[in-house]
Order: sequence, then structure tokens, then C-alpha cells
Amino acid sequence: MTEIGKTATLPLAARPMGGVTPTLRVVSMVGVIAIISGIIAITSGGYWLSNFTQAYCMCLTLLGCALLYGQLGLVSLCQWALVGVGGWISLRVYHYIHPPFFITILAGGVGASAIGMIWGLPALRMRGLYLALVTLMLAGAFQVAITVTSFPVGGPGFLGQVGASGNDRVMMARPVFASSDTGYFLFVAFVTLLCFLLIELHRRTKPGRAWALIRKSEQMAMASGVKVVFYKAWAFALAGFIAGVAGALLAGLFGQLDASAFAPTDSIMIFIGMLLGGPNVWLGSFLGGLLTRFIPALLIDFNVNANVSLLFFGAALMQALTVAPEGIGGQLTGLAERIFNKFSARRAS
Amino acid sequence: MIKIESLTVQFGGVRPLDALDGEFRAPICGLIGPNGAGKTTLLNVLSGFVTPAKGAVHLDSVALRRLSPPRRVAAGLRRTFQQELVVDELSARENIQAIADHISASRRDAEEEIERALIFVELKGRENVLGRSLNLYERRMIEIGKTLIGKPKAILLDEPGAGLNDTETDRLRRILLQIPERFGAQLILIDHDADLIASVCVETMVLDFGKLLAFGPTRAVLDDPVVRRAYLGTA
Repeated sequence: MTEIGKTATLPLAARPMGGVTPTLRVVSMVGVIAIISGIIAITSGGYWLSNFTQAYCMCLTLLGCALLYGQLGLVSLCQWALVGVGGWISLRVYHYIHPPFFITILAGGVGASAIGMIWGLPALRMRGLYLALVTLMLAGAFQVAITVTSFPVGGPGFLGQVGASGNDRVMMARPVFASSDTGYFLFVAFVTLLCFLLIELHRRTKPGRAWALIRKSEQMAMASGVKVVFYKAWAFALAGFIAGVAGALLAGLFGQLDASAFAPTDSIMIFIGMLLGGPNVWLGSFLGGLLTRFIPALLIDFNVNANVSLLFFGAALMQALTVAPEGIGGQLTGLAERIFNKFSARRAS
Repeated sequence: MIKIESLTVQFGGVRPLDALDGEFRAPICGLIGPNGAGKTTLLNVLSGFVTPAKGAVHLDSVALRRLSPPRRVAAGLRRTFQQELVVDELSARENIQAIADHISASRRDAEEEIERALIFVELKGRENVLGRSLNLYERRMIEIGKTLIGKPKAILLDEPGAGLNDTETDRLRRILLQIPERFGAQLILIDHDADLIASVCVETMVLDFGKLLAFGPTRAVLDDPVVRRAYLGTA
């Protein structure tokens, strides 16, 4: 006869998350994003500031992608197209009624959320490769549509186009308090932080628990009273909202958007960036987003073709998939928690 | 009380359940049979994961056939699965809270029910440990704890004792015996451990190739030579 708890026992720990409370996790999130943003704002200008602003928008896109993959195991390859949808809607709303910038951002987010959910609904009963293919085809469909119609530039009609010369283009204005490049970057950093907090709130509450059950087993989730389709749709809507906000912020950065910037292959790059960063921790989306934009920008700065970055990402992906599936963010978070645990244990003793 | 009427399940040319009739009336009932007898299929029909070709199933007076799985849960049906399905990234409490989120009448009720379930399955003090750090017995207890949330009427347990050692099985037995009285729920227990079935179940149904082989008081059923030949391999 053996003792209770001796069957297939995994290493026990009082609090394996390292005693890290949700509050501490939020504080660390605010601290890290604030410090990194502060350093960038102080040390960067011109080219790099613009690239870091774009990188933060990329972080938001990865965040939505990580929400779907990390929480539900769903591979969505249309997140970059949803950024385009958010950008289109925010430009359309801006040129139509010139609302305050926050309303423009919300319009982009809500619009992309609705479109994301409509795109996602037929795919909600799919998983894995099939879902990836369906969402990639939707991204392709968006590129075709946006190449034909382009983004609104303040012209007449629903599509808001101007003549061939383009001299009548109206640029989307940034908010008054963030009209400078540095000011706008800090504004984007603030919105990015809010979105990260929104996702963290979801992960720690009822929807996060429902998503965890669904990812473990849809049958078990249903047997636990979870309405699986509703919670999947919720995740698609939330990921779409975040992507739409990113699109509105990009529109604000450049004043307009270019159809050629929304190729479906970019959604694949975002997925790779998400895997490199780590899908299960907030830091993964943040670092993954920065890397996805920073490496090509660095190559361009050294007069090297930015496509060389594909080699880097390919090699890094192989490394991540074989030895570090938790990604860079997951590894760093694990390290930080181990250090925190050691200090806590030492203080307790 | 679970009632089954002329239940037939057809998968292509295979009939995992064939015109099955029966009424589980005792507070704890066993469901046994050799591999492929149709035990898990019956649980899947009851939970709404398999649609029968014919027949009806009732929980008390509620006809379950047209209800979705979450609505069956709302009607008071709970179940566990053959393979334990505790979420590694959630703590013991959060695993139980995940079902309370959708079933309990209010947040206050949910807190009380979670607390009661944790104490009952003897996981109080371990509630903040993540699923991945719990041993198999504790994970099985979380699964049972989940079924106790929100006034269950019937709980279907699919091999809760699988992989447990003798001490743990004894403890599981003690816990199972208390559920009907403490929580007012009927237990339907599938297990290959004949001793566990004999010591816990008042009535037992035996299936063989989707057909009812025997149904009645557990001791009499287990002593039936036909059952012994088909299930236990001895006459």
C-alpha cells in the first residue's frame, strides 16, 4: 500500500507562479512598459521614434494573436488585415465627422472587432490548420479589396478617394496633446498599456477561465456549462478590437495608410513574432512586437535589405520551437519569478 | 434519477448502444462492462455529446435529448471524463471556479460552493497550487469538486479511480459514499475496479456489446455467472 499523493506526482510547490500575485504582475507590466517607453522617448528621434511607434502597434497586433493562440489554441492569420480594417474605419470616421482622437480609435477598434467576429463566426467550429487557412484567405481577400478601393483620404463618397494627382488628400490629424513625434509615441505607449491591461483583466477573470477550459477540452468546457461558441466569438471580438486600435494608431502616425502595407504574409510574420515572444505571457507579445519591427528597421539603418530579417526570424523560430516553446517572454518571466521566489523565501526565513 | 428508454446509438454499421432500457434509482449506481461495451457512449449520450438514433433519456422529469450540453449542466447534470482534464495553468480553486462562473446563482453562492467543495474533497490548503503541480489523486479530487458546484442532481463519473493506489482508492471510496447525502446528488459510476463498485454502488448496470446484460443490486449482479463470464472472465 502506498501513501496518498505518491502516484505520478509532479514536483510540488506552494505557489508555482512564484508567489507573484495578479497585482504584482500588473505593477510589473506597468513598470516595464513605462520604463522602456521612457527610455525610447528620451533617446530616440525621427526614424527610430517612428519605428518604435509602429513597433508598439505591432505589439498590439501580436497581443490579439497571442490571445487567440495562447488562450484558445486558435491560429488566426488575419490579424494584420484586421489592423487594416481598423485603420480604414478610423480614417473613414475621421474624414466624415472629425471626432476627438479617442473616438476615432474606439471606432477603429469596435469596427474591426465586429468584422473580426463576422470573419471568425464561420471559423469558430474549426481549429488548427483549417482555421489558419480560412483566416489567411480572409486576409488575402482584404488585401484584394483594399488594393482596389484604397484607404479614405478625405475625398467625396463612401470610399473617400480623390483625383489621380492626389493633391487634395487630407491627412488625419494627431491629437493636440500628442502632435509631436515624441508626444504621439508616448500616447501610443499609453494606449498600448491600456490594451495590455484589458487583456490581463480578461485572462484573470471569468472569460480567461472559460478560455482555459476550452483550450484543455471543448467537451469538458461544455460539460462545465461553458458556452463554447460565445466565448470563442468573444476572444475573436477582443483580438479584433485590439487590432483595430492598432490600425487607428498607425493611421494617426502617418496621417494616411497605404494599401500595399497590408499583405497577408505580414499576418504570418506576426504569428511567428508571437511564437518567438511567447504566447502565454504579456511580455511575450511586447518583446515579440518590438523584435518584429526592430530587426527590419535595424537592417535598413545599416543599408541591408530588410528581407534578410526573414532569415533571422526563420532561425529564431526553429530555435524557439525546439528548445524554448515558451518564447523569450516566457523565459524571462520564468527567470524573474524564480529570482522573486528566492528573495521571498530568504525574507520569509 | 436517470431514466433511459429504448436508447440506440448508431455509428455507421456499429451499434454501441442497442435498444437500452433502464432506470437508475439508487443514490449510487454502477455502470460496468468490458471494453467497448458502450459505457462511455452512454455517458456521452447523457451529457449531449452523442445524439442517439432512437430513444430518450430523462433526468428526473426533464427530457434531455433536445438540450445542449451547457443546458444539461444547468438542469443539474455533471460529469467527469476518463482522462483527467485539470487545467495546468489554473490553480485548484480556479479550476473549480471555472465551472462556478457559469452555474452558480450569484458570486456569493459561487464562493460558498467553491469553499464547500474544496473542504469536501480535502484540498483546502492546496487551493492556490497550480494544476500542473498537483498529483493525480489531487487532480481527480478537483474533477469531483467541480461536479459538486451548483446543486447537482446527477453526477456521472467515468473511471475516477483509474491510476490511483490502494490508499487513494480507499479515500476516494469514502468521499464518493458521502456525496448523495451531503450534496443530494445521484452518482453513476463507471470503473473497472470491481471492489470499488461492490463497496460503493447499491445498484449496478452491466453492458456488453451495447446491450443490457444485467441490472440490479450490485452484489447479486456481480455474483451472476453470466456477468462473471462476460465481464470478470470467470464463471
